[in-house]
Amino acid sequence: MNSQEKAKNIETVIPELRDFNIDQLAGLGSPALAHSIALYRERLRETGITLSSFDARI
Amino acid sequence: MPLTKHILPATAFAELADGGGGPATMRQLSEAQLSKHLMLLCALAEAARGPQPGPAAFRAGFRQLAKIQADGPAAADWLLGSPHLGGWIHDSLIRQDQGGTPDFGHFAGLVAAAAVRAGRPADLEVPVRDGRVLLPGLGSLLVPGGGDDGEAAWLRLRCDGQLVTAGDQLVLPAGQLVPDDGTTAVVPGWRGTPAVRASAGGRDWTVLLETGDPYLDRYSLPMRTAMSAAELGEWRERVRAAWSVVMDRHRWAAEPLGEVISVIVPLTPQSETDLVSGTTPAAYGAFATSWPPDPVTLAETLVHEFQHVKLCGLLDLVPLVRTGGQPVYAPWRQDPRPASGLLQGVYAHAGIVRFWQAQRHAETDPDGLLRAQVLFARWRSVIGPAVQTLRQTGSLTPAGIRFAERLAAQGERLSAETVPPAVGQIAAQVSLDHRLTWELRHLVVDADGADRLAAAYAGGGATGPEPVRTWIAEDVRKVDASLRSRLLNLRYLDPSRYRTLCADGVLPLSAADRLLLADRSEDAVEAYRAQIADSAGPQFDAWIGLALALHQRPPSPLHEVMATRLALIAEVHARLAGPVDPLDLARWFT
Repeated sequence: MNSQEKAKNIETVIPELRDFNIDQLAGLGSPALAHSIALYRERLRETGITLSSFDARI
Repeated sequence: MPLTKHILPATAFAELADGGGGPATMRQLSEAQLSKHLMLLCALAEAARGPQPGPAAFRAGFRQLAKIQADGPAAADWLLGSPHLGGWIHDSLIRQDQGGTPDFGHFAGLVAAAAVRAGRPADLEVPVRDGRVLLPGLGSLLVPGGGDDGEAAWLRLRCDGQLVTAGDQLVLPAGQLVPDDGTTAVVPGWRGTPAVRASAGGRDWTVLLETGDPYLDRYSLPMRTAMSAAELGEWRERVRAAWSVVMDRHRWAAEPLGEVISVIVPLTPQSETDLVSGTTPAAYGAFATSWPPDPVTLAETLVHEFQHVKLCGLLDLVPLVRTGGQPVYAPWRQDPRPASGLLQGVYAHAGIVRFWQAQRHAETDPDGLLRAQVLFARWRSVIGPAVQTLRQTGSLTPAGIRFAERLAAQGERLSAETVPPAVGQIAAQVSLDHRLTWELRHLVVDADGADRLAAAYAGGGATGPEPVRTWIAEDVRKVDASLRSRLLNLRYLDPSRYRTLCADGVLPLSAADRLLLADRSEDAVEAYRAQIADSAGPQFDAWIGLALALHQRPPSPLHEVMATRLALIAEVHARLAGPVDPLDLARWFT
């Protein structure tokens, strides 16, 4: 891939967390992570993903 | 360690936009799902506080998952990538958002499943509901008397890597707690989640038929939670046959699909003839379907729903469409759809067209061939216009615009192929019927404009240069032409059934509808014309029939105006006093 093609690569909205140990993540307290979570929550509200029937009955 | 974002290569984006997705691209999507689920687990971990059993079980599960991950990531990745985790975690977030309390304890069962599956040590308090401990993705431990009142009871579940001990009594080998693919021996105290092992063209595919995880009961129809052994056998057989179809003719979809789809949720249909399928962004790797009538239909559903799954995965990474904006026409739906729904639909239908493009060369019996030809012709004709509608919404992001450009190019390539003229005519007629029915239901005509035109017509004037404003709103008119529309579709979807129904002659159709279905277009035009002119009230279904009958004639300005301005013409007609010939009025608009 040349530099022009690389430039077209897309930085996504999902943080790369696979290299973190799960224990580390719990205490990460990163503002960037909190921002990504807030964005995802907002998207959930906007797209109207609904509860499972199980939870909707509760 | 600094936090970075997933990078999606330009080549992967292009592959997905073109409807494909090689192994590397599918890996990109799957890896992003792991990160997404980790991110959402972090969000829940912050809220899982306090001494109650649920949050305590969550925290124990979190620590246990960290140990499993430290011993080797594959077992943790299996859980983090599973639709079972996705379904539960999305419910948990939504419940939080609504001010409720998430079912924290369920996470302990998910982690226990990962430990048991990988033969790793675990010691967790897990919830018992309705006499069972759910190990999502594997099955259920049967614990009579536990949680029978619907409230969760708790039970200690230990795994030493070899044996699983549930409470004080149940001890089972971990290696036997597996899904039930129909070949495993019965294990007392265990009910494996039904599974199918399919093999064709040198590729194996194992997929669960999920009937027990309440967090995957999240589609438009209820999950089938009870299935007899005979029904289960039929589902397994159908899935295997469908896998053969996709492997034989649709390998472009089969290979990535086999990597990504791990769960099918069988649905309970409202009627025996309804085929309903669906996908949710909450459960990447799963889709739901009611009982498919034949293997080719299930194969089409696999391709169709896999398109949705891929697009859901991409949308998690890259916003393609903004919310808000006016709903618009989608050629596969009865209701107005938001731009996001139109994008999902056009992407799914691009896959469907590709499916029928190949399938029409595989069908050998005349009825199967007719179905394949018409479905190819019908759906390819909507790709370009639907992408155009999508662009006009103004809701696409810059990445969405690039995505739509590639979709439009696909539509153009598919349009270059020829189909027999009779096939093209059937496809065009059902497409027109769908659009006109939708417009008469949902297109509002400005009342002042319609009044002005009615007065001009009655006074012998011209239509005038000023266009009449129209906009979309749900169900502004009652249009009842569902039987005629169903029969127009049945002609090619199930020609044999169509012939039987027509031969019986018992269907409650109008005389005009019978003439239309018999392709007696001249007689049908006259019958609809009389029906509309002689009626005191609006005859919207007859207006559609008239447009369809005119469509069977050679192209003309009249045909064109009826296809493009029908709601306006019908509204003006409704304002005129006395019998008015609908064709005379329609000609006035040409």
